[in-house]
Amino acid sequence: MNILIIWEGGRTLFRYVDCIDAGTEYCPCHLAEKGECIICSQLRGKNFCDCLNWKGTCIYEEFIWNNKKAKRIREFKEFTIENKRLIRDDLLLLQVSVNPYLAKQLNNIGSYVFLKKPGSPLCFATPVSIMDSDIKNNLITMVVKILGVKTKDLLECKDKVELKGPYWNGIQGQIFLKNLKGNEILIVARGVAAAPCVMAAKKLIKANNKIMVVLEKGRGNGNFAKERFKSLGCEVYDVNMINYNDYSLSEEFKNLLLELIKKNNFKVTISGGSDEFHRLYLNFVYALDKSLKFATVNNAIITCGEGICGSCEVKLDRGIIKSCKQQYNPAEVFINLRGEGRK
Amino acid sequence: MKVVVIGGGWAGCAAALQAKKCGAEVILIERTDLLLGLGNVGGIIRNNGRFTAAEEMIALGAGDLFQIADRCARHKNVDFPGHKHATLYDVNIIEAEVRKYLYSMGINILFEKRVVDVEMEGKSIKSVYLHDGTEIEGDVFIETTGSTGPIGNCLRYGNGCSMCILRCPSYGPRISISMRAGVEDLQGLRSDESFGAMSGSCKLEKDSLSKEIREKLDRDGVVVIPVPKEDINMDKLNIKVCQQYALKEFAENIVLLDTGHAKLMTSYYPLEKLRKIPGFERVRFIDPYSGGKANSIRYLSMAPRDNHMKVIGVDNLFVGGEKSGLFVGHTEAIVTGTLAGYNAVRLGIGLNLVELPSTLAVGDIIKFENENKKTLDGLKQRYTFAGAVYFERMKQLDLYTTDIEKIRKKVDGLLLRDFFKNRII
Repeated sequence: MNILIIWEGGRTLFRYVDCIDAGTEYCPCHLAEKGECIICSQLRGKNFCDCLNWKGTCIYEEFIWNNKKAKRIREFKEFTIENKRLIRDDLLLLQVSVNPYLAKQLNNIGSYVFLKKPGSPLCFATPVSIMDSDIKNNLITMVVKILGVKTKDLLECKDKVELKGPYWNGIQGQIFLKNLKGNEILIVARGVAAAPCVMAAKKLIKANNKIMVVLEKGRGNGNFAKERFKSLGCEVYDVNMINYNDYSLSEEFKNLLLELIKKNNFKVTISGGSDEFHRLYLNFVYALDKSLKFATVNNAIITCGEGICGSCEVKLDRGIIKSCKQQYNPAEVFINLRGEGRK
Repeated sequence: MKVVVIGGGWAGCAAALQAKKCGAEVILIERTDLLLGLGNVGGIIRNNGRFTAAEEMIALGAGDLFQIADRCARHKNVDFPGHKHATLYDVNIIEAEVRKYLYSMGINILFEKRVVDVEMEGKSIKSVYLHDGTEIEGDVFIETTGSTGPIGNCLRYGNGCSMCILRCPSYGPRISISMRAGVEDLQGLRSDESFGAMSGSCKLEKDSLSKEIREKLDRDGVVVIPVPKEDINMDKLNIKVCQQYALKEFAENIVLLDTGHAKLMTSYYPLEKLRKIPGFERVRFIDPYSGGKANSIRYLSMAPRDNHMKVIGVDNLFVGGEKSGLFVGHTEAIVTGTLAGYNAVRLGIGLNLVELPSTLAVGDIIKFENENKKTLDGLKQRYTFAGAVYFERMKQLDLYTTDIEKIRKKVDGLLLRDFFKNRII
């Protein structure tokens, strides 16, 4: 059994397994068809029910009623680019006009899509987080960091882009963000990873949570998302987070965190940065407050988004997580509780 | 000493009640918003050997739930094919009565909370986890989650989810706690050696039946109407849980019992065919809602146990009801649940565990089922005081009697009068 252990003050909480697609219109998927369903024992080669995470529908029943076939997989469709501009030499802001279905489905925490230039081969598809989805005008906003072959290809798009979605696993630890009402939440974000944090802030503010955001000053005029966070009503702080000579957290950042954690009663903190940053940041704040829960921007190399290709696999002691669609508890991956976690 | 009971059906209620009477702190966790589980669509007690068993339990001091059921009776001393002196309790009122009684005894009940996992310490359960991650610690645990459903099982081994009273789609699926604790489940077999068995009765909305049938039900408690010849299906008897009702008469006749609804003694019945029967022209199913095509599947999740009702392989887990064997019915659930509750407390305070004597039907059935279950043929049987192989045994061993005085004297002779009433903490 592929189990996920949630840590509670250094203790195991409960074995938690979640597939972000379970119970959606994309479930059962090809994993179920091949006897590899993340949730359902009957679709994992067993003869009896041992449901690992009930999300309101029986996946086995859906599978049988769908003539023992996976549901139709998400496919690329062409959409119109409404706005495309470089907001820094390597950061591309993209606004794409989509259909109402996609706009609504992407207006969720952790939403992402695959993008590619029309006509480019499938291997050019790159996953991009949704920063905002305007469900009135069916307009989605994304920020892409131009890094390599795929993103350079995307930069060449003119007025059209091919888009495949919706996907929702762009943020890990979503269980801790669900049903949060009237709480205080700390978002810490650097660079392009701030984009999915904007969406998270928007949804959490709608549920009457108070959000504080610490952003990396970085190069130029601060983080591109700063004004967005401010207009949502977040309290925003600018700092330099990292000492680059030894890649450690700066004193300035640590002091600010100490002060914020002392003053506020944060239930959850969202980390928007690289895995290396997640590890530094989570361990630092965990030492200050053991009851803090974590959500992290998903940095896995995501290629298919369907749990098939294997590029997003996170290896843990107890098994492999297909992190493009399977949730994990960030604490298990990044906190060095007993010297464990992903190396 | 904290006893955690998982599953609030008849067996869980009996276990919680007994553990409380023994002096333990008790928490009862129920997945849905109702106690009694399938007992909400049961209703038949005191038929055949169940009369003896109920009176034995009353004499032993564990009559609380039987007395509530007796108080909720719509009909007493009803005979129907193969069955004598049945009491039919009103399924529409009994749950509230049991709930009130358990609350009055000081039992904590958590509704709409589903246990999904266990935390082990060696071979003992340290705590259980609810679906929302809440951890509940205890000294001893009793699993009375039954063996019915969930949807995937009802589909693989039956005709799909029939929307029964267990309401898995609304409250989430049953999880085998013993299996999460590392003990493999046992399964009952049908005569063709396929797994499981289908629940054996459905409920019809009484108001949808003709005036004549309604009046006869209200008056006599039972109505027997011949099935049209072309619709008689003997094969249907083989799939039933309730072998005591798998008699020829139940295939050739529609047998209705008045339990508040009209209890139809067959697993399912296509609505079009049912409506051809005079008086049934407007009939509708009330449980399961899809009684026209399916019913729930049972016996897919039994834990191996000893005759103290302790699970073999886990040091502090007890079982009762269908979770503990191929038992059928509320009487059997109360008997096994009560013993589980009693022994759970004994274990918790370091006392040796007890078995019920074989000279009583309530003790004999626990041992007989456990012994027989070891064979392939035994796995195809169901064990109930009300019929089939065990009622035959009761008659052979002279365990069956309706003489209450005789039962009391027998219990007195064993020095067990009011045995379950004693506080042991």
